[in-house]
Amino acid sequence: MAAPSKSKGKDVLSAWSLRIWVFVLFVLSWQLSAALMKNMLIPTFTETIGGFIQLVFISGRIWEPLYISNQALVLGYLLSVVVAIPLGLAAGRLRLVDRILNPYIGVLLAIPVAPLIPIAITALGLGLASRVAIVFLFTFIFITVNTRAGVRNVDQGLIEMAKSFGANERQIWRRIVIPGAVPAIFAGLRIGLGRAVAGMVIVELLLVASGLGRLLLEFAGRLQADFVFATVLVVIIEALLLLNVMSFAEKRVAPWAHDISVE
Amino acid sequence: MIQVRGLNKEFLGRDGADTGLLAIDSLNFEVRDNEFLTVIGPSGCGKTTLLRIIAGLIPYDGGEVNINGVPVTGPGPDRSVVFQNFALMPWADVLTNVVFGLEIRGVPKSDCKATGMRLVRLVGLEGFERRLPKELSGGMQQRVGLARALAVSPQILRMDEPFGALDEQTRRLLQEQLLRIWEQERKTVLFITHSMEEAVLLGDRVMLMTTRPGRVKEIINVPLKRPRGQETEKSTTFIEIKEYLWENLRSMQVA
Repeated sequence: MAAPSKSKGKDVLSAWSLRIWVFVLFVLSWQLSAALMKNMLIPTFTETIGGFIQLVFISGRIWEPLYISNQALVLGYLLSVVVAIPLGLAAGRLRLVDRILNPYIGVLLAIPVAPLIPIAITALGLGLASRVAIVFLFTFIFITVNTRAGVRNVDQGLIEMAKSFGANERQIWRRIVIPGAVPAIFAGLRIGLGRAVAGMVIVELLLVASGLGRLLLEFAGRLQADFVFATVLVVIIEALLLLNVMSFAEKRVAPWAHDISVE
Repeated sequence: MIQVRGLNKEFLGRDGADTGLLAIDSLNFEVRDNEFLTVIGPSGCGKTTLLRIIAGLIPYDGGEVNINGVPVTGPGPDRSVVFQNFALMPWADVLTNVVFGLEIRGVPKSDCKATGMRLVRLVGLEGFERRLPKELSGGMQQRVGLARALAVSPQILRMDEPFGALDEQTRRLLQEQLLRIWEQERKTVLFITHSMEEAVLLGDRVMLMTTRPGRVKEIINVPLKRPRGQETEKSTTFIEIKEYLWENLRSMQVA
């Protein structure tokens, strides 16, 4: 339940001030320890920020690799969504589909994806297709599983209610099952998004040197630690931005559910 | 008119197979047109199962269930249900919930809205049309459930312990409101309850059921004049029937 509205503003304020304090503490300890260690591979916070400004605003070197990497992210993620949501919906409501898919879902959840990267490359080459495939593999099973769980958890009482008014299967899907599963689908989309960003960078680091991964390897090779950290910072900022966009969309699409799924 | 003759229903096993154990055993009764029949019995007497069978939501194993002479094979347009747990769509506002049955039946949008608003007013929820269920109290939520059931203008209203999840005070208010609405729009009502007061206060007749297997023990006439209200509960007849129900139920309860 929502907190009484009087104290809500205050709660938000104190939560933010705590967050800022944690951040300040983190930055200070980073700055101090990096400065004391004098390890050239660990930049200080200010050096990282300097590198960030250089990459993003002055030289602008980050933009092209960022664009290249994001092609794989966007395509792989969209492909995941398009495949995973219908699959999860079907597995959630149709017993037969679930029985067939269940062992495969288990396998896909259990295996680590990184070892599949060489296989994807053997099959699809060193181009965009491999990267898209890896992002897809990183992502889609989590969206499927969450969608399935969401459909499963739709209140059976609501389905019975709809039937009592004579609703047919199509109406039950459209009016009850899909809206009921939306919060869980969004949870899956959010988890999937985090995984997709990870997949995007990992594949570029491990095998298909392109985009941000290639940039990271290049900076690391030249021992430009501040740029390495700054690039990572860019990836973190992108992930946070995307997650916030997702939260915003979720509040628009499923406002009734936002108090269980914001964080 | 609802006619139930020799109705049997077996308990379902975990795998969905019949167990041979009877949940409902050769049930016979009828509900007359515009009659308010309340059904009371110990937990596990198959009251809810009975209601779901008559709603056409689950099949039965033997006997006959006829509505106006036509056997029940599925949910029908002349019947609607008020559910114990309200069964409101949490993502939909009050009006959308109220018109759900109408929309399912393909009633045009503008008619839906007009009917919906009329029912929202009937149950005293004007001003709350755009609220979500979670913003309402339990009593208000069940009034939405009642409005939804009435929206499709059913001949027969089935109510499955509709006030069971509400607190005593809210329940009393809703009972009074239900009686007022029923006086205005007479319907055949099959009302399942745990509460003896409720059974006597609302019903023209009270059907007393036994448990394991569910059978009709007795159908008791309630000769209290209508409209009924607070005064009704003070009358000797009311108290006598209530006591009679308790004597019977008490011997059946395995607490």
